[in-house]
Amino acid sequence: MTRLLASSFAVLLLLATQAPQYAQAHGGVVEEEDLCVIKVNYLRGHFKIYQPLIDGHNEYCEDLPNATETVFVMEYLHDSLGEAAVDFRIIRDVTGKGRFARWEDVAEIDDLEAVTILYREPTVDPDVLTVIHDFKEEGDFIGIVTANVDGDQKIYRAVFPFEVGYTGLGYWPFFILLLLAIQLQYFFMSGRFKRWRENRAAAAVVALLLLCAPISGALADEWVSSRGVYTVSFESSLEPIEINQIHAWILHITSDGEPVTGASLAGSGGMPAHDHGMPTRPRVTAELGNGHYRLEGMRFHMGGDWEVSIEIKANGRTDTVVMTLAL
Amino acid sequence: MNRSTGTYWLVVVITVAALVAVSENWPPDTDKWSDADVAVLRTLWIGSLGVLPPDPTNAVANDPRASELGHALFFDTRLSPSGTIACATCHRPELRFTDGMQKGRGVGQSKRNTPSIVGVAYSPWQYWDGRRDSQWAQALSPIEDAAEHGGNREHAVSAVTANDEFRQQYEAIFGLLPEPGDARGTDTAFANIGKAIAAYERLIMPGPSRFDHYVEAVLSGVEEQTLYSADEIAGLRLYIGKAACTQCHNGPLLTNYEFHNTGVLSFPGEVPDKGRAAGVRQVLADPFNCRGEFSDAADRSCAELEFARSGYEVLGAFRTPSLRNLEDTEPYMHKGQMFTLAEVLAHYNEAPLSMIGHNEAKPLGLNAVELMQLEAFLETLAAPLATDEKWLRPPGE
Repeated sequence: MTRLLASSFAVLLLLATQAPQYAQAHGGVVEEEDLCVIKVNYLRGHFKIYQPLIDGHNEYCEDLPNATETVFVMEYLHDSLGEAAVDFRIIRDVTGKGRFARWEDVAEIDDLEAVTILYREPTVDPDVLTVIHDFKEEGDFIGIVTANVDGDQKIYRAVFPFEVGYTGLGYWPFFILLLLAIQLQYFFMSGRFKRWRENRAAAAVVALLLLCAPISGALADEWVSSRGVYTVSFESSLEPIEINQIHAWILHITSDGEPVTGASLAGSGGMPAHDHGMPTRPRVTAELGNGHYRLEGMRFHMGGDWEVSIEIKANGRTDTVVMTLAL
Repeated sequence: MNRSTGTYWLVVVITVAALVAVSENWPPDTDKWSDADVAVLRTLWIGSLGVLPPDPTNAVANDPRASELGHALFFDTRLSPSGTIACATCHRPELRFTDGMQKGRGVGQSKRNTPSIVGVAYSPWQYWDGRRDSQWAQALSPIEDAAEHGGNREHAVSAVTANDEFRQQYEAIFGLLPEPGDARGTDTAFANIGKAIAAYERLIMPGPSRFDHYVEAVLSGVEEQTLYSADEIAGLRLYIGKAACTQCHNGPLLTNYEFHNTGVLSFPGEVPDKGRAAGVRQVLADPFNCRGEFSDAADRSCAELEFARSGYEVLGAFRTPSLRNLEDTEPYMHKGQMFTLAEVLAHYNEAPLSMIGHNEAKPLGLNAVELMQLEAFLETLAAPLATDEKWLRPPGE
């Protein structure tokens, strides 16, 4: 009896350890660094599935516990997806290949329409792709995302088999493990996704910001750029600076005590403590001479510590200054 | 003195010192605010609300004749072809110009929760997603929305033309109404209808609440006050401190009128709302915006439009509503997803990951008592409007 228990436990354990590998092998959707990623050829998206009526904010990567209203979300990690006409189809899995179904298997289906349970026409979504479907029954399904890039020149696809609902005792260990994995993913992802994007987009900027912080913090009204090339001060059209008021700054830029003219400037700002930027997108609109530049569109929408970072390019020398202010 | 006597005296001295220390702070003096706190409280006080800024895009914004006409149009159902819907159908004065429903209902089901218009003359943006940049441009949209007034500009202009009183009022302010079939003239007259309605809406302002009276007491250095209970004071402390509410609900209207993603769950049966990411595209394309030919702004730089942020950062972001309208404006959030303040506070306390975009809020770690105190404070923001009663009824009633 004990032996029987032990061996069935071993089988369960084996099943459990096998399960994550299944999850890894689901066609076009894979888990990378705790992030669920859909690969539409080389175009990638952050893929999330929700069952908000039952599970609230819980995120799923592909297999779903319930036959209920389900929201599919694809956030683009590649801008081309936001410009492509993307369609979205869900079919009942009639390929017999289950988790290993690929596009070739789907292409062999005689009447795709007959097995289609959801089809969204090709649409260009500049921000995010969202699709809702109310699953009426449990079963095996295949999702197909098709992106038409550059008109109809290139057609890219992601095919991901998934399961809705879990039946049979054999799936329980897998289910429990999946739940655990989802909880862990939920726990770990709170900062990961953002960091992932930022690391890709602005690793250099972040590094610069970090480097500059101690230097700029030490000075009151003048800030020295990270490599010491430029010294910057500013005068605000709104004095004192109040929150929620759009206004302009006049920047004064010097290098070795001499005014810097003909510089090209790019600015951004944000609150490091809150991981967000400014509500506006400020821009240098005019050079006023003698090292003065007009920076317009400044607005701060909450009190606290802000950083305004300006990249200065002049006479072949590029450096970034980070000005700090407490509101 | 032997060792045990020494220990004995040491214990006595420590106990007495501890008792003295405790008695000085007992009962805990929750009414003491630091200078920094007082400075923050002053920024939230309604007395810090500056004079209403001009609306350069609307030449009749402060014209009392336009306010009178706008007042009449706001309550008039003839602007809708069905003769059943007025602005006031959804913006009900007795509910602080909201309707008590999850989503507005005109001739059909509208897409979002009806926002209050109290104090929004201070806002650079209108609607939950800021898809309009002035009150008058906003006032035009429902008239042509198939789910709201269900009409169009031709109908609205002809409704004004057909009514002798409206016609006289209109022409005294704006000049002659257009002939039927004059498309350009109709567009201009339509814009003018919006400008008159905006001139009325600008008058709807919040009044001082118990919170403001409490701040006045603090600012004038009153030591003993009876305006706030200990729980309400604790709630206010959380509001400006641990609960981080003033990150967005700041300034005298308790809103920064900016766009934030706070991870509110999608509405049942709908995909998550893109919010500002879509709204910013709409306001830039709106022919009635600050830069458009119907705007009266002499300065066409229109800084708010020029420097508006777009893209992923504002995906799923919605305009911070004023907390001065909490009373009578439930259900809350952009689709009325939450019915009670307790639900709202529990949501911010948890700060779940957003379905789309990035939830800016962080989990707060407030306990049940703190949540109750915060709610007790929020309830002190209730106050009657500062607007003359006559504007809160249809004209002549």
